Amino acid sequence: MSGLDTKAAALVLAALLLLGVWGTWYFLADPALFRDGLANLQRFLIRVGSLSFPPLGKLIALTGMTLGIVVLGTLLAALLSVPVAWASAAVTAPNGWIRSAGRFLGVLSRAVPDVVLAMVFATIFALGAIPGILAFGLHSIGMISRLFADAIEQSEAGPRLAIRAAGGTKWQEFTSGILPQVFPSWVATVLHRADINLRGSIIMGYAGVAGLGLEMRNAFAIMDYSLGLGIAVVMLVLCVGMEVVSSTARHRLLGLGNARRRSARRANRPPYLMAASVTALIAASIWVCQIGWSDLAISWEYLEKTARSFWPPSTGSYGMSRFLGAMGVTVSVAISAVLVSLVGSLLLGSFAARNVAPNRGVRSISRLLLIVIRAIPELVLAIVLIVVFGLGAPAGVLALGVCGVGLLGKLIADSIEENPPGPEIAVSATGATRLQRYTAATLPGVRRAIIGHVFYLLDTNIRAATILGVVGGGGIGYYLLTASQGSRYGQVTLIVAMIVAVVMVVEALAMWVRKVLR
Amino acid sequence: MPSVTSLHSGATPATATRPPVADGAAVQFAGVGKNFSGNWALKQVSFDVPQGQVVVLLGSSGSGKSTLLRHVDGFENPTTGQIWVHGQLVNGLKNTPLRKLRSQIGFIFQRFELVGPLSALENVLTGASARIRGPRLGAWTYPKALRNEAMEQLERVGLAQFAAQRTDTLSGGQLQRVAIARALMQHPSILLADEPVSSLDPESSHEVMTLIREIAARDGLTVLCSLHQVELALSWGDRIVGLRQGEVVLDTPTELVTKDQVLPLYQRPAPDAPDALTLPNTEFTFASPPPTPELVLGLSL
Repeated sequence: MSGLDTKAAALVLAALLLLGVWGTWYFLADPALFRDGLANLQRFLIRVGSLSFPPLGKLIALTGMTLGIVVLGTLLAALLSVPVAWASAAVTAPNGWIRSAGRFLGVLSRAVPDVVLAMVFATIFALGAIPGILAFGLHSIGMISRLFADAIEQSEAGPRLAIRAAGGTKWQEFTSGILPQVFPSWVATVLHRADINLRGSIIMGYAGVAGLGLEMRNAFAIMDYSLGLGIAVVMLVLCVGMEVVSSTARHRLLGLGNARRRSARRANRPPYLMAASVTALIAASIWVCQIGWSDLAISWEYLEKTARSFWPPSTGSYGMSRFLGAMGVTVSVAISAVLVSLVGSLLLGSFAARNVAPNRGVRSISRLLLIVIRAIPELVLAIVLIVVFGLGAPAGVLALGVCGVGLLGKLIADSIEENPPGPEIAVSATGATRLQRYTAATLPGVRRAIIGHVFYLLDTNIRAATILGVVGGGGIGYYLLTASQGSRYGQVTLIVAMIVAVVMVVEALAMWVRKVLR
Repeated sequence: MPSVTSLHSGATPATATRPPVADGAAVQFAGVGKNFSGNWALKQVSFDVPQGQVVVLLGSSGSGKSTLLRHVDGFENPTTGQIWVHGQLVNGLKNTPLRKLRSQIGFIFQRFELVGPLSALENVLTGASARIRGPRLGAWTYPKALRNEAMEQLERVGLAQFAAQRTDTLSGGQLQRVAIARALMQHPSILLADEPVSSLDPESSHEVMTLIREIAARDGLTVLCSLHQVELALSWGDRIVGLRQGEVVLDTPTELVTKDQVLPLYQRPAPDAPDALTLPNTEFTFASPPPTPELVLGLSL
């Protein structure tokens, strides 16, 4: 039986590979594309001339607003994720029904792209920060609650059982037995998500959410490339800064053996400092986002009317085949981009691994390259590539493919370094060359891990490809944007349903293949 | 004389270009010392191993057995002294010459070190890496002749029926036999075995040790095998070299040694009197041919 499963999984892999090769060929194997692209790039660079930025005061206000939206949205998601994680973790869920419900909520929130949520909220609330905060707040629950639940399930059972043995309630088990164990990992997860949301904040501009994203979109819309790219550079700097802050903090939080020693007096005091800093952060974020009570006021009558207009789903004047075709393009873009990333990642990721790189210099340079690539927000790259290659899928494939190397390359490098060194030494001992050792011992050792990482990337790429369509990278995203801008909410419902279905299918497929090929 | 070698009096200068004794020795250690960040793992190790001899390295963990074996294969470079294999200086070998040397030396590891997701056949085929050019992915990418030979090697270790099976599904004894087949695929003249049966149950240990002895006798291999089981060592090789804190403290033909002579290898020295140990440091000169194989007929485990 398991042999049959393995064969089926291998077939799925082969089919995906074929689709990826075909897609890459179809989208990219056009000499005119790169010939025209080069000419466009020249024209683009001439038009850019030099970078220009908004006036300093405005720039600071915009940056503050973008950061504020990210902070508030991520914190909101963290708060909402606690009950979802509690419900979906095996050790805390009261029963199977609640557990399934919790997991479904997580998957659902992950499947609806944040930009779609922002578009919906923008129709309910006034334009400004609120739609962005709510969109991040709801969409991030998917990832945060999943990782929170994983942390709960990986925590040691001993302390929990000890509290139960001492007559504690379930609630006490959670607060005293689990929470102290998982807290560092939870904070790390939230920081990681804040990092992701900051990159995502660019797209929020396309949904009308205030901040740097909106400013950049407006600049590109009036073909003020130098201002657009100037804001992109600001965004890049912000992303690199956030990456450094969050990865340093995560390292310290999750690093072993650096448990802080605290005096008994401090241990007996409530964590005033932490509470004060979090409160201050929230207050500052609300202030920079210029949120007032009036923003929260919604006209219930209008809300009801809007809600009604989302039903029934409709294809409008397009017809279903048009939507299905566009969805197919989105999926092909995602798969082709995975293939592009895989080729780059195998190369760069291998050289970034200590046990493959010929020397330290090569490893350091490769690691640095991976960090730089990871810092580039894919949307910024996509927007630039769209200017160069024109609207459509090729720009999407290239943007996703290049940015995917940052993530996949790092995962592959880490897997290769974690691979037990014994077999590699044994193959070296037979007199094999470095390349022979790489194919005979290193690659077979990490094959399964790489398949897992590839599916993880495919999973993220499907969502990212949808969003890229919004900025003009081809596929269903374009129809989503026009439907939402034209207030044709029946179409929005249909498109979102299609996206959710595809994301769920891919996620289920990924889970199944990873389980079978473990 | 370089300053590092002057730590021990009488160290051979590192500039020597000829092995101390040229005739018939497969492996020669000349004043080998190894310093790992301030600690001497090996001190002044000097002995010759004639071609075809089966040597057991005996000592407690941390005595330097594994380090010594790793020096023969060029995985470590000695801090002092030299290692010669078939009259070739091993110190400082790199790239192609080092790979050429390694291809003549089979290495059996304590933890087998096979590539788990690959089949037994493909693992054996990797032993032929030095005989082909370029990388290979999958058993079918190797020449047919090599595939046939790999099957023969698997037959030789009694595992032909498991050729297509993934090695992470095999038992410990089977794994070590696949590893031996991989080493044989190199056509080695020397076999190094680092605690080859420490991870195995007594029955598999017996099988594996018998197999190594048989193969060594038939192919005329020189064997350097580290062990920590005294009983096993006393009934297995031609010669016992005992190591204690990186020093050779015992070197004797197996048939002349008694258990009482070996046990002090495992005693912890008094901290204030590290040299109080008195062992019969019997220096024998082994001339080729090595002791007759009859010695091992009394193999009992």
